[in-house]
Amino acid sequence: MKEDFQVIGSRAPRKDAPDKATGSARFIDDLDMSGGLYGALLQSPLPHARILGMDTSRAERLRGVRAVLTARDLPPVKYGVSPARYDEHVLATEKVRYVGDEVAAVAAVDLETAMEAVSLIRVDYDPLPYLLDPFEAMAEGAPRIHEQAPGNICVEVHQEFGDVEAALESCDVIRTGCLKSKNQDGGFLEPHGSLAVCDLQGHLTLYSSTQVPHYVQRTVAMVTGLPMSRVHVIKPYVGGGFGPKAEATPLDLCASLLSMRTGRPVKMNYTREQVFLHGRARHRFFHEMSIGALTDGTLKALRHRCVLDGGAYASFGIATAYYAGSLLGGPYRLPTMKYDGYRVYTNKPACGAQRGHGGVHARALFEQQLDLLADDLGMDPVELRLRNVMNAGETTCNQLNMSSLGMRECIEAVAAKSGWKQKRGALPRGKGIGMACGFFVSGAGYPIYRSETPHSTVKLEVHEDGGGVTVYTGSAEIGQGSDTVVAMIAAEALGISYSDVLVRSGSTDYSLDLGAYSSRQTLMTGHAAKRAAEDAKRKILEAVADVLGVDPQGLDIRRGLLETDGTPLDFGASRMRYIQEHRGWTDHPTGDRLTFREAARLAFIRNGPVVGLGSYKPPPLGGEYKGAAVGTSPAFGCSAQVAEVTVDLETGQVVVESITGAHDCGRAINLTQVEAQMQGAMSMGLGEALFEEVLFDETGRVANPTLGEYRIPTILDMPKIECVVVESNEPNGPYGAKEVGEGAIMPTIPAILNAVKDAVGSAPDELPLHPQRVLAVIMRDGESSGS
Amino acid sequence: MREHEVTLHVNGVEHRLWVPANRTLIQVLREDLALTGAKHGCGVGDCGACTVLMDGRPVNSCLVLAVQANGREILTIEGLARGSRLTPLQDSFVEKGAIQCGFCTPGMILSAKALLDRVPNPAEPEVRNALAGNLCRCTGYQKIVEAVLDAAERTREEDL
Amino acid sequence: MLLPRFDYHMPMTLAEACSIMETYGDGARVLAGGTDLLVGLKTGSIRAEHLVSLDRLDLSGVTKEQGRIRIGSRMTVADLLSEDSVQSHLQPLMDGARSLGSPQIRNRATVGGNLCSARPAADLIPPLLVLDAEVHLSGPKGDRAMTLDAFILGPGRTALAPGEILKQIVMDLPPAAGGGSYLKLGVRRAMEIARVGVAVFLSLEEDGRTIRIARIALGAVGPRPIRALKAERVLTGSRADARTWEEAARTAVEHAAPRTCHEFKCEAVAVLTRRALEQAWRKAVGSGHA
Repeated sequence: MKEDFQVIGSRAPRKDAPDKATGSARFIDDLDMSGGLYGALLQSPLPHARILGMDTSRAERLRGVRAVLTARDLPPVKYGVSPARYDEHVLATEKVRYVGDEVAAVAAVDLETAMEAVSLIRVDYDPLPYLLDPFEAMAEGAPRIHEQAPGNICVEVHQEFGDVEAALESCDVIRTGCLKSKNQDGGFLEPHGSLAVCDLQGHLTLYSSTQVPHYVQRTVAMVTGLPMSRVHVIKPYVGGGFGPKAEATPLDLCASLLSMRTGRPVKMNYTREQVFLHGRARHRFFHEMSIGALTDGTLKALRHRCVLDGGAYASFGIATAYYAGSLLGGPYRLPTMKYDGYRVYTNKPACGAQRGHGGVHARALFEQQLDLLADDLGMDPVELRLRNVMNAGETTCNQLNMSSLGMRECIEAVAAKSGWKQKRGALPRGKGIGMACGFFVSGAGYPIYRSETPHSTVKLEVHEDGGGVTVYTGSAEIGQGSDTVVAMIAAEALGISYSDVLVRSGSTDYSLDLGAYSSRQTLMTGHAAKRAAEDAKRKILEAVADVLGVDPQGLDIRRGLLETDGTPLDFGASRMRYIQEHRGWTDHPTGDRLTFREAARLAFIRNGPVVGLGSYKPPPLGGEYKGAAVGTSPAFGCSAQVAEVTVDLETGQVVVESITGAHDCGRAINLTQVEAQMQGAMSMGLGEALFEEVLFDETGRVANPTLGEYRIPTILDMPKIECVVVESNEPNGPYGAKEVGEGAIMPTIPAILNAVKDAVGSAPDELPLHPQRVLAVIMRDGESSGS
Repeated sequence: MREHEVTLHVNGVEHRLWVPANRTLIQVLREDLALTGAKHGCGVGDCGACTVLMDGRPVNSCLVLAVQANGREILTIEGLARGSRLTPLQDSFVEKGAIQCGFCTPGMILSAKALLDRVPNPAEPEVRNALAGNLCRCTGYQKIVEAVLDAAERTREEDL
Repeated sequence: MLLPRFDYHMPMTLAEACSIMETYGDGARVLAGGTDLLVGLKTGSIRAEHLVSLDRLDLSGVTKEQGRIRIGSRMTVADLLSEDSVQSHLQPLMDGARSLGSPQIRNRATVGGNLCSARPAADLIPPLLVLDAEVHLSGPKGDRAMTLDAFILGPGRTALAPGEILKQIVMDLPPAAGGGSYLKLGVRRAMEIARVGVAVFLSLEEDGRTIRIARIALGAVGPRPIRALKAERVLTGSRADARTWEEAARTAVEHAAPRTCHEFKCEAVAVLTRRALEQAWRKAVGSGHA
């Protein structure tokens, strides 16, 4: 049944687009800070070393320097992402663990002085043997990077659902394969930055280019010792996040500490090189999988081992290691699954969460192996997927419930739109077509810290006069469009127009919201916004009912006008009072219906401020086993894509000619934005599949810390993308909506891998697909087939 | 380090400044003239977020010394709209969903403007070639291309 | 990213510029477009206390007269691309120019800058090598000229003597029955530094089948771009056909000495050479020669 929505489902232009189109949108580096200081970091040039001593005296004496901080000036509080693995100090205490590790921070009157001061700090290092490879790090006798982590294991995951070995025995076909990837980067255009302002009342306001004001607030409070109520984190416009900005950074912490120390505002930015040194981006994965099926294509078993190269600190890595396993439980019926995951410390920048988190490369290998299975079985890859796809309402073997799942619709849509049937098997050598699927959480089922806290809260304030509302939310608009989604949902739920909703977001002063990560805000903040709007509506209608002597049950608001169930609404006197109150205005309300503007005014006069409150927390989700929380979600978005490639058989160069993608977002709140997120996710997947690789030299230093040598796709690399939006109407989502931001990247890498295999006859097992690697695959295939 | 006197014509307004030689155009625009539309993305000409038009041509303002811009006409993103009246190009970007985080947007719009000023009726490959020096991580570029083609059409209609 | 401090000079004449360069020796650098120099100064890979701007000197423009083409060293790559008078004559150079950097970079980068930076992967050097270009230098001791081949000594090193500045790039008007190409292997389709670059120029005898002049230059596969002379000898006087291209391509590889990914890049040299030769031949034939 197609519902009659007034606002959602349209292509309303984004709230923030005009600001961005005119250059008036203020990002962190655009903020005014008169009388402020500039901060700079001293970072370790060595991958692993003990700090024997430090001399900051020359730096302190330099004219224009206002503060120099080292670990001895700070309380020895450890922090990180997962409370179970707080393994970071703001500034190195005894050891540095990667090239880039923060050793000291300086605040000075200008950047040039701050950097000169940094160069004057003398550090006495005792170099230690270092590890750049996770397998070497796990080996017997390897030096320990963290005292509390023998074998340099950050986390080990062992999960088994059903009896996998027995299931494999019963299979007719088993496909075993592996996939290696590289460290990758978020590639956002705006480097991280922070501006901390500590005032004379002891309140710290931290402006930060962050995805998660709330988590940053907590970390800053914990590390500085300030109570949470005195730490205010404000997110200005953010130039992309994609995961690496989902945790408190050394800039956040150092700027805060320097501001507290000097009593002045302190601004700190990363250069592009420092963004790479900081990392917190895509882990490097080594996946091995065996997938077993029957001759009719029914999947029976998955045995999966993964080693994650985690870098020097834990960051999001525990969740990453779990996601790498858990996100293979769907979207196909998989009765048994075994996963052994090892996240290993190495002396490189720490890896964190990046779009799709640990699931992306796991999905890539799985979908590639499915295609090979299809080959073995003489089955069309599309057919094999359709045969195994779960239905809405089913639960995976690792207890993830697919409350809605438009996977079948997505597969059928892309197969039809891409001309799959005509092309598959009919393209000449050098041309290929491949498909893949994937799914992702619509928000993690549990917060990062153990707590019963609501995940999203919203306050919707109805203007006392004028008929508009302001939505206050701590959620983070980082470009993905959450402010617009919140405004549209609020407008829809309240019954007013989109243009009458003002959104104020991204500040911890507005409301608690866990922020933009795990693709959660449309569902979770959306729910809170909807509830806040409904709460406000209820309060207004109750006031109207009270004043006009009718039953509130019979009232509603739609298109900015009051509706009744038939009972006449005698608002003549009320309107007259309103008009008297607004002598001089030229746009008095007219018409035979009470307007929202009048109703809001009436409610305010009757009862005082009208504020709608909304809150959302997912119900308890998931199984009872260890790590069951990671992968749980109130809803799962899913995606299918078909990619067509041309491979230059002589040079190995791969060109993606087209991508056809379908994504089930439950309900498209804003159609344009859903397509935009799909296209963006696909461009990131294409980049990660073909170009992106962080290189390290033999000392563990990032060798290509530039956007020239770390290659994200340019406009000339992106093909035409066809987007199909599927709406499965998610029961756990506001108006049926669930995620799109991260799920849409899942099929991209494997669709390209499968297309390349179709083009050259052999499946690559290493990413990214630089010409050299693809050429090696072509040559290898040529040798083995004797040609 | 001695300072040099430069005259910059920025968005139609003449500015006379004294700048040290090692100050780049983007620093002058952002810090001395408070025109923060041009962004620091990489500092070395790899990303295009700092793009401004100099004598009508897109350049990376992070790689132009302020002294080299002496006497030139500079157009930044702030010089397009007239108050709240956006240009057709800006309108198209807004309506076609070509803007997500917005960080690449000023540079992207200016590169597009430089193209449309020379080639009012571009084909898609020409649009893509013109924007090849502007990286975007959010959009996948598709809606950006659509917006530029849409703006070209709108402008042609307006001219008729 | 901040630039280090330096003194900035704006000479009014070439002689003045040369004099300043001579005075400060290694501490001075010419600033033309700045797309290479300013990046190097920011990253610290280049050090200079004095920058000498060419902005006030008349070193731009392209002239075509008496059988010679002259390109001012300060000509931007973008301006070169819109120079209609020499589009068809300088095909490989136009290919190189089109593939260089981005529109923003091309609006600032200069022909002279690309040559003087002497990067192994410079996009304009192989094309100018196959056009048999000369560089005309101006210095405190006067003017002199030499082949581009002799000018480029190694990565980042040229034959510029203290105080000398590159004034012009000069070459003979290529023969009418000629065609050229520059092909580059990168990873992305834009803003790429060549991993392998091959430039080719061919001109044909009156029969349209026999190769009269053949020049091949390889970029990014050695410390400096070089002419693949052995491969050229395979072509001169030979019949223009697939077998000749293949033999020339294989021979060109003998000149390649990449520091990394040896096998892959050598294979790419062969592939690109063969393709560039095919393209150049097609252009030569299509250039209206009877």
